[in-house]
Amino acid sequence: MSVLAVSNLTKRYHRGGKPFAAVDDVSFEIGPAETLALAGPSGSGKSTIARLVLRLIEPDAGRIDFEDADFLTMSGAALRARRARLQMVFQDPLAAFNPRATVARVLNDPLRVHGIAPRADRPRRIAALLERVGLDAGLAQRAIHEISGGQRQRVAIARAIATRPSLIVLDEAVSALDVSVRGQILELLLDLQRQERIAYLFISHDLGVIRAVAHRIFILDAGRIAESGDARAVIAYPQSSVGKALVAAMPKLVRDRP
Amino acid sequence: MKRLRRLLHTPEAIAGALILALLIAMALAAPLLFPGDPQAIAGPALLPPFRDWSLPLGTDRLGRDVLAELVHGARTSLAVGLAAAAAALLIGAVVGTLAGFAGGLIDEVLMRMTDAFQTVPSFLLALAFVSIVGPSLGVVVAAIAISAWTGPARVARAEVLSIRERDYVAGARVIGMHPLGIAFREVLPNALPPVLALSSVIVAAAILTEAALSFLGLGDPNRVTWGSMIAEGRTVLRTAPFLSIVPGVALVLTVLGVYLAGEGVVESTAVRRSLS
Ligand SMILES: Nc1ncnc2c1ncn2[C@@H]1O[C@H](COP(=O)(O)OP(=O)(O)O)[C@@H](O)[C@H]1O
Ligand SMILES: [Mg+2]
Repeated sequence: MSVLAVSNLTKRYHRGGKPFAAVDDVSFEIGPAETLALAGPSGSGKSTIARLVLRLIEPDAGRIDFEDADFLTMSGAALRARRARLQMVFQDPLAAFNPRATVARVLNDPLRVHGIAPRADRPRRIAALLERVGLDAGLAQRAIHEISGGQRQRVAIARAIATRPSLIVLDEAVSALDVSVRGQILELLLDLQRQERIAYLFISHDLGVIRAVAHRIFILDAGRIAESGDARAVIAYPQSSVGKALVAAMPKLVRDRP
Repeated sequence: MKRLRRLLHTPEAIAGALILALLIAMALAAPLLFPGDPQAIAGPALLPPFRDWSLPLGTDRLGRDVLAELVHGARTSLAVGLAAAAAALLIGAVVGTLAGFAGGLIDEVLMRMTDAFQTVPSFLLALAFVSIVGPSLGVVVAAIAISAWTGPARVARAEVLSIRERDYVAGARVIGMHPLGIAFREVLPNALPPVLALSSVIVAAAILTEAALSFLGLGDPNRVTWGSMIAEGRTVLRTAPFLSIVPGVALVLTVLGVYLAGEGVVESTAVRRSLS
């Protein structure tokens, strides 16, 4: 049983008039409460896969099963309802929110859209969500642009878990953060996974971060899967040339840590 | 207070704001200053200005008080100008947002409609509309609005096209928000600033169009308007030129005031945006 099963996914774009496959015949599965890392150099197709899986763009070929239902044939209200179970955290937490929004509005939206709590009950739910991600409930009335980058990413995680998803796609979710904040956010993600049994599709170009959180890894090269396997094993003994290059790009201290 | 000071940072903006403030005061105070019908006979016909202090701007061909007509005319001009501009901005923002956000066939159809409206000269469009439906205040407002919404629609669409690619719109889709909810709650409010920047030009044009329609006898016949005053005065232009000059100058000052004040607002918000 898998939460997400992707098979033969292909997405083509045009570059200089010629078609090229940004994602080329990619297949993978993610189990419940599992973290699958998607690594690869810039432009290898990681974000395109994230957007395909979330139905933000449509593939040219392939199949996506989410919670054992054909996700690509869903549309309209059925698709919107199913989206509650499949959430996302973006790289830039400032760009990910309406620039006019307050923290309360950002967290109220998913509760309102999916009718999760009666209106009168929502302030309490919002406070609980904030506390769940390690933030002060008093933050609710602040504007998104007033709080720090780390706080914003915690709000993004709070919004993602508001609808009790089974899978969260994280596209470079910690790449823009300071090292110390990054560690705290990774801790939070691991804790949420243990408590709520959420699976992650964890996208990053940073193998150090991946080794800290991922169970399995896929390394992409120009839209194709170059190698895959147990995260620690692949990072310790990369076989493909992209894999070796990504390992070589890790800071030495991190690389040598057991 | 700080905002107001920034708003009034140029002499042009101050002049515009003063004219506009005077005009609004005039329009609001009209029923207090000149209670009763401004179209009633108030004295001898064609009394020149500054002769009789109870009729400071004199009387017209029929002996009506010119100052009373002028002040009541400000009411009509402003009301029609603001209502028509608001309607034009609203229609434009909604059409532009739908076209830009939906894309595809809906965009194609809506923009072809916009093209069609834009190819007809806007004054002719307003003229045709009033001639067919018949003159009344509401019809004049509608006529001006349907001839002025295309500019806002294009600006809104262009802005929406860039906003819809942002992460936060993708985020709204991911949480399962309805496309119309995304278009009007998330995208439209952020697309408004450049659309609202058009409002001074549109209000000014709306006031002129209203005057032109009244001048041609297509204004609301139950109301004094500056356009109809100018048209009235035209028949005695040689002997009593002030009858046309007074409302004409009022019209020019109003359009200038609206435009200058509007530019001041746009500039102060642009300054604020470049500061932040
Ligand atoms: N909308 C698009 N139109 C054309 N090309 C695109 C588009 N989106 C992505 N690409 C191309 O697809 C490739 C993969 O991009 P992306 O998935 O963003 O890579 P990554 O996230 O791994 O850096 C890149 O070459 C990129 O230029
Ligand atoms: Mg990317």
